[in-house]
Amino acid sequence: MTLVETTIVAGYTLGDLMLVAAAGFVLLAIAMLYRAIKGPTMQDRVLAVNVLGTNTVVILALLGAALAEPWFLDIALVYALLNFLMAIAISKFTVERGGVI
Amino acid sequence: MTMITPLELTLFVFVLITAIMTALFRDVLASIVIFAAYSLGLAVVYTFYRAPDVGLTEAAIGAGITTILLLLTIAKTTRPRHDETFEKINWPAAGVCGLFALVLGATMFAFPAVGDPNAPAMTNPDVTVYYIENAYQETGVENAVTAVLAAYRGFDTFGEAVVVFAAGVASLIVLGREVFA
Repeated sequence: MTLVETTIVAGYTLGDLMLVAAAGFVLLAIAMLYRAIKGPTMQDRVLAVNVLGTNTVVILALLGAALAEPWFLDIALVYALLNFLMAIAISKFTVERGGVI
Repeated sequence: MTMITPLELTLFVFVLITAIMTALFRDVLASIVIFAAYSLGLAVVYTFYRAPDVGLTEAAIGAGITTILLLLTIAKTTRPRHDETFEKINWPAAGVCGLFALVLGATMFAFPAVGDPNAPAMTNPDVTVYYIENAYQETGVENAVTAVLAAYRGFDTFGEAVVVFAAGVASLIVLGREVFA
């Protein structure tokens, strides 16, 4: 039994509450999609997807804690790095028209 | 049937919206950006279903490499300006695709539930049970899927790597260059 399974808050374990929080963050991700789809400029979309990536890192960390699977953090780390790389790549592309990626 | 948690449901809605939008955007760059968001959602789905290798691959290939490859592609080609944001939908084609998805979806009910101990794959003593019982002792890899992929089918995976390498060398020869970039 781990801490997330034994700690009870208002009848729910801490793990359950974290799962609910993760579901809330996924709902927020859908809200962020509005900006990514509506645009209107490419910068808006890049920024929206960048925020989505950060949101994903939070979701993965919450899931890792809730399900007691610490390796979720590895994927979260890879995502944090790739998210940064992707934003740089797309920004560079829009400025220099694919000059240096 | 296992219950779908609210978390899964919201993830599915997210993945579905991004997938449809990737197809609908008229501007290629917008499509690429939304496709990256689609990859983010899908990687979380894989990770939630305890498939770390698939999740990591989706993160690295789907969001990282694919985005950069597609960006390089449109850098070498022309990107026409569009007035409309969204593609016009070809309804007959959409209908055919929808029917195909329905036919595929109809087979879903034939699958055993996730983690069902009586599923054919779990009761096959020659393959699955052998891997589950012996994978750790024989390979020292904790994840059975990784053990099968990298150890038991090591030569197969090695062959795939050789094919990718050969393809890279061949394209360099065709291009008449010594390095990519």
